[in-house]
Amino acid sequence: MFDIDLQSRTPIYEQLYKRVVELTVKKQLRPGDKLPSVRELAKALGVNPNTVSKAFQNLERDGMIYSLPGRGSFISDKNGDVIKQNAAEQFTLAAKEAAAAGLTAEEMTEIIRKITETGGNKID
Amino acid sequence: MIKLTGVTKKFGDFTALDGVDLMIPKGTSFGLLGSNGAGKSTILRLLSGIYSQDGGSVKIDDEEVFDNTSIKERVFFINDETVQFGSFTLKGLRDYYKGFYPNFSDELFEELRNTVNLPMDKKIDRFSKGMKRQAIVITGLACRTDYLLLDEAFDGLDPTMRIIVKRMLVDAMLDRQLTTVISSHNLKEINEVCDSVALLHQGKMLFNRDIDSVKGSIHKVQAAFKEEYTKEDFEKYGILHYSRSQSIHYLIMKGSEEEIREKLSEKGPIVLDLIPLSLEEIFIYEMEGMGYDAGQLD
Repeated sequence: MFDIDLQSRTPIYEQLYKRVVELTVKKQLRPGDKLPSVRELAKALGVNPNTVSKAFQNLERDGMIYSLPGRGSFISDKNGDVIKQNAAEQFTLAAKEAAAAGLTAEEMTEIIRKITETGGNKID
Repeated sequence: MIKLTGVTKKFGDFTALDGVDLMIPKGTSFGLLGSNGAGKSTILRLLSGIYSQDGGSVKIDDEEVFDNTSIKERVFFINDETVQFGSFTLKGLRDYYKGFYPNFSDELFEELRNTVNLPMDKKIDRFSKGMKRQAIVITGLACRTDYLLLDEAFDGLDPTMRIIVKRMLVDAMLDRQLTTVISSHNLKEINEVCDSVALLHQGKMLFNRDIDSVKGSIHKVQAAFKEEYTKEDFEKYGILHYSRSQSIHYLIMKGSEEEIREKLSEKGPIVLDLIPLSLEEIFIYEMEGMGYDAGQLD
């Protein structure tokens, strides 16, 4: 579930952070779900536990997860802002690529209009 | 905490370490990179108290290491030479180290020995090379020291043993704040295991940084512009490398993606693609930037 690419140029803690956001957006993780412990995750991935802690600290700082001492870390139900911000970043990237490929603002707006009209704003 | 201050070590005319400063916080994992003869093993030998330095200080938890038994029994050094106990059996090796390391765990030793399946009563010089390494690695882990030094220890382990060692290190780091110093030629291993990394070259430390801050600090840029530009137009951005193929400019630039996009935006790029460099590529360009030939780095 928390597969990461150890060869990637992106830092491991950042990949873990993004993975948790992604799994939450896809509803594979829901508010209240418990995350594996730092120990379990570090062992499963074969990485430094400090790296996993760093990802958890950042997720907690941004309100994606919360920790209960002695019980573990859980997905927060107040993570809307982080998820929206993540979506905005991805959307910006896709829009830049589309612009580079020659799509005009009107053409892009048309796509957005179609998606929102057909209720595509829901993730299935 | 490990602290080296202005450490110099000479062997005759040869200067193995030349004024090295290094700080490794407790509970972290530190990677030493560099070509053969760069000084990696010398640092590990100083930390294990095998050598005394010629200048500067080598301290663990604020105490000088050399000739200091109370520090030495908290440090285990895993290297190839440790396996010179050819006439010992694994049982003999265990008992030898058990006598020296007060925190030795028979339980952990047995648990590890069962995972690797080594015989207790066969002489170690009849072990294969890989088995010898396994023998010293499991013995070292069972000593449960606060500091573990691994001299290219990962490089000779098979994948199963590697993951066993890594998992052991995770437990030890979380349970008793184990500090590890790992020398390696293998950047991939360092990347997975270490918090910080230092690059040594000819006895000097070229740099020493948090591994995550190294990544994403240099980018490969491919760009095309409406106007005609030459290498000189980009030099003010501090480029590490420049090449060009027809209308596409290839640049190696320091900085985050945002910083680089910001800088180049004034030139009105038509195409602007950025790829972060891998750890390995970063080291090569950093070495070149400091006037070292990358060919000297393994």
